[in-house]
Amino acid sequence: MELIKVHNLKKIFHRQRIVAVDNVSFSIFKGEIFGIMGESGCGKSTLAKSILRLIDPEDGMVLYKGENLLEASSPRMRALRKFLQIIFQDSYASLDPRATIGATLEEVFIIHDRLTKAQRRKKTEEILELVGLDRTFFKRLPFEISGGERQRVGIARALATDPEFIICDEPVSNLDISIQAQILNLLMDLQKRKNLTYLFISHDPDVISSICDRVAVMRRGKIIEMGLCEDLFNNPKDDYTKALLNT
Amino acid sequence: MLKIEDLKVSYKSMEGDIEVLQGLDLEIQKGECLGLAGESGCGKTTVGLSITRLIPAHIIASISGRILFHGMDILSMDIEEVRRVRGKKISYVFQDPFTSLNPVLTIYRQIEECLKDHTDREARIAELLEGVGLSKIVGNKKVYPHELSGGMQQRVMIAMAIASNPELLILDEPTTALDVTSQNQILNLILELKNKMGLTILFITHNLKTIFRVSERIAIMYAGRIVEIAETDELKSKPAHPYTIGLIDSLPSLAHRKKRFNAIEGKAPSFLDMPVGCKFYPRCRFKLDRCRDVEPRLNWFSDNHASRCFRVEELIGHGIDKGP
Repeated sequence: MELIKVHNLKKIFHRQRIVAVDNVSFSIFKGEIFGIMGESGCGKSTLAKSILRLIDPEDGMVLYKGENLLEASSPRMRALRKFLQIIFQDSYASLDPRATIGATLEEVFIIHDRLTKAQRRKKTEEILELVGLDRTFFKRLPFEISGGERQRVGIARALATDPEFIICDEPVSNLDISIQAQILNLLMDLQKRKNLTYLFISHDPDVISSICDRVAVMRRGKIIEMGLCEDLFNNPKDDYTKALLNT
Repeated sequence: MLKIEDLKVSYKSMEGDIEVLQGLDLEIQKGECLGLAGESGCGKTTVGLSITRLIPAHIIASISGRILFHGMDILSMDIEEVRRVRGKKISYVFQDPFTSLNPVLTIYRQIEECLKDHTDREARIAELLEGVGLSKIVGNKKVYPHELSGGMQQRVMIAMAIASNPELLILDEPTTALDVTSQNQILNLILELKNKMGLTILFITHNLKTIFRVSERIAIMYAGRIVEIAETDELKSKPAHPYTIGLIDSLPSLAHRKKRFNAIEGKAPSFLDMPVGCKFYPRCRFKLDRCRDVEPRLNWFSDNHASRCFRVEELIGHGIDKGP
């Protein structure tokens, strides 16, 4: 089933005169991990933000189960955000430095569900456990925990609404190798367990190959090559893709 | 060329002194590139900063041991003597090029500053820029740091580091802030300079893949200790410490398709709360009871391969199933 369909999406930064996302089209199927690979500045994060309307694209369509997100009213969009989540690269910048981990996660339930305090607390503990953190994290602040643990909190926050689709924007590129492997394992486990669909963004072909089913290569706002990972990595057609893989 | 003997470094902290290095020994041979790899907070930068005496005095609780550079002990030098070595014979390149450059001075002027004593500065700068592949861009003298990409900024830092024709170049995570393509360009540049200038390099990083490419020998650090040293090929094919095995298993690659990683569980211990015996014990797949109470020594089981593990013979003899 086609869960997300992006059609001729376009985002222009007028002041800088940059077409950051240039007529991008692709579909993501339910239960799939779809990779976007490209160098810094190629527009991959802008693409991610445009899909979720964290910034507003100029033109195109983003269909979630057939519904165009770019035309959704703001109450409708708020309701849909429950099913569409994102994990950011910089886990520290994306957490409120003065809120405890528990408060940050509970806030999700305040926004999206009508639960009692006790229910919220219980759900928060469940979600912490799901990402491999014990309940002592409830009272900790972001600066008191390691980068790998913070990224687990970022994953927990995305999972808290029980989403269907998660964008992972370079979720492991700031982490040490051993922690990176743990986080990739966690993302793969969760994907299987909850039948999630990911859009996984990375500049690293090795990481993409390790986790994704299909991949699109992005350069200067455009997708230049797309295919199954096995095919694309074994037999790249475009010269730019070849250069990325050979380096 | 450089010999570190029994280096001990403690930092001051609110919760008491933290002993980061507890008697570290390491030798760097002339002309080699030695990789020093470990997770963040394992003490690898402390090693680099100790060699150049760049640790701020007010955070040092104590420092002892010897760092012999051509037989002279850097740790017992006075500051004037250190200045004759640092930046001239030993240069340092930091992780983040942007914060290392002065944002309000042109690149040209900053390179010029390294060459104060030079008579033929213009020619030398041209030569340096050519060497790092920046002649076209910085040649016009009016370029500022923010106008360059991260990779180009790092090339500038390397040009400045090699301006004095140093003997030893310390590279501290020089490619970590860059994406894969620029990373590879910088690594190629480093290899090229090493061959051309006969540089000796200490390459500090958490990224095993980069040092696999550039280093002849690799030392793996964990919790302030060196846990394994070997030549690169040998370390890759016959890792002899459980931590190294775990790191290699954690590396993503094109061949690794949609499988779980055989990852190392848990996280590195805090210096304030170190395990008594082997520091890797809580995360180790191969632990024995005695590892909990006794810390193994760094055991040179062959001429150029050492490991800090009791089960080294079994690990290299494949006596232990390395699988999950």
